[in-house]
Amino acid sequence: MPVDPDAKIEITAYKSVPPFAQGHIKDVRIRWALEEIGQPYRARLIGGIFEEKPQEYLAEQPFGQVPVYKEDGLTLFESGSILINIGEKDERLLPRDNAGRGRAISWMIAALNSVEPPLQTLIVIDVFGDGKDWHDGAKAAALPFARKQLANLSRALGDREWLEDSFTIGDLVMIHVLREADELIEPHPNLIAYVERGTSRPAFQRAMTAHLEDCAVQELQPA
Amino acid sequence: MAVNDNASFEITAFKWVPDFAQGFVRDLRPRWACEEIGLDYSQRLLGLERPDSYFAEQPWGQVPVINDGGVRMFESGAILLHIAEKDERLMRRDPQSRASTISWLFAAYNSIEPLFFELGNIDLFSKGEQWAELRRPGLVEFLGQRLDRLATALGDRQWLLGEFSVADIAMVTVLREGKEDDVIRSRPSLAAYVDRGEARPAFGRALAAQLAVFKEHEPVAA
Repeated sequence: MPVDPDAKIEITAYKSVPPFAQGHIKDVRIRWALEEIGQPYRARLIGGIFEEKPQEYLAEQPFGQVPVYKEDGLTLFESGSILINIGEKDERLLPRDNAGRGRAISWMIAALNSVEPPLQTLIVIDVFGDGKDWHDGAKAAALPFARKQLANLSRALGDREWLEDSFTIGDLVMIHVLREADELIEPHPNLIAYVERGTSRPAFQRAMTAHLEDCAVQELQPA
Repeated sequence: MAVNDNASFEITAFKWVPDFAQGFVRDLRPRWACEEIGLDYSQRLLGLERPDSYFAEQPWGQVPVINDGGVRMFESGAILLHIAEKDERLMRRDPQSRASTISWLFAAYNSIEPLFFELGNIDLFSKGEQWAELRRPGLVEFLGQRLDRLATALGDRQWLLGEFSVADIAMVTVLREGKEDDVIRSRPSLAAYVDRGEARPAFGRALAAQLAVFKEHEPVAA
């Protein structure tokens, strides 16, 4: 098991997350990548997702989010940036040749900048707009673009197993992002099967188990 | 001029877009990066009616796409990283500077820009609709909190890492989408940061190159 309290790689994670967000937090992506290549890591748990973060943490992560990644004195934030760093350790995650590397990183940014934002917008509308007078209009306005992005992604994937010739950090992020799509994915059997292929990987399952254990940690009761 | 028809680095851009998008189409970002390091690029120009085959190159039918001697990439953020690997003026080589540059580039693309997409949906594409007016204050507050933290992180430095890097190309091009809005204007350090970015000669050349293409292909009024 790559979770190891003595590991030199440290990532941060929340110690409490509301049920709707459990499994969707971005430390899952880092845990998954590390599990894929058998790199031990330890998790440093910071406060709950909605708690104000201390100044020291904001100096490491300007927006107070997770994950932050530390290894041998190197500090990174933003899951995409961390995944490039991890991918450069092992070509099972990021091809070494320029062409393959370029494709993998293109897909990863596509997941983060072209697919995740419209899906995230819908989640925000449903979670924070529940019962608000703008909910229905906002949702009706946001749905067509989200649907279009998924249809284009489905067409691009076609009947391939992964987005390129082999599994990369591009697939890893895309699959984690697609888990946010809920019923919008239903018109696309190839995307459903793609998510299923990704999430049935043993590395994903170990990552998710460790994430869920950590983010359900309750505050210690005063003695 | 970095635009050179014989250059082996090719950027795909649109021939023409409507006024509101001119100067903001994302081929501007790799053009800027190329200009900063004097990397010549050629242009492949597409009409807004993209052929179906283009979706095999770019799944969303968007620009830019690049072909760098057989390295074919899409998504401007990925392309910026690729260009930055060529020259330490865009990304310093020591491990922590490299790590911080890439972290900030992703912060622009995944933590800041998605909120500007939402603001754009409200201000541009749903302008005047009742839900948009009701939704706007909450979104602006949330975006504002994030921008406050960005301003704190920037502090009184000129650029995100102190020295200019590709992360600033990403962040400045994201922030200038809201440049005329109160959300940026009410934060003078961020407004000044955007102004500094836009004042760079390489930015000016990149913008001029994009606009020149649109002018050349302007539809003739009926």
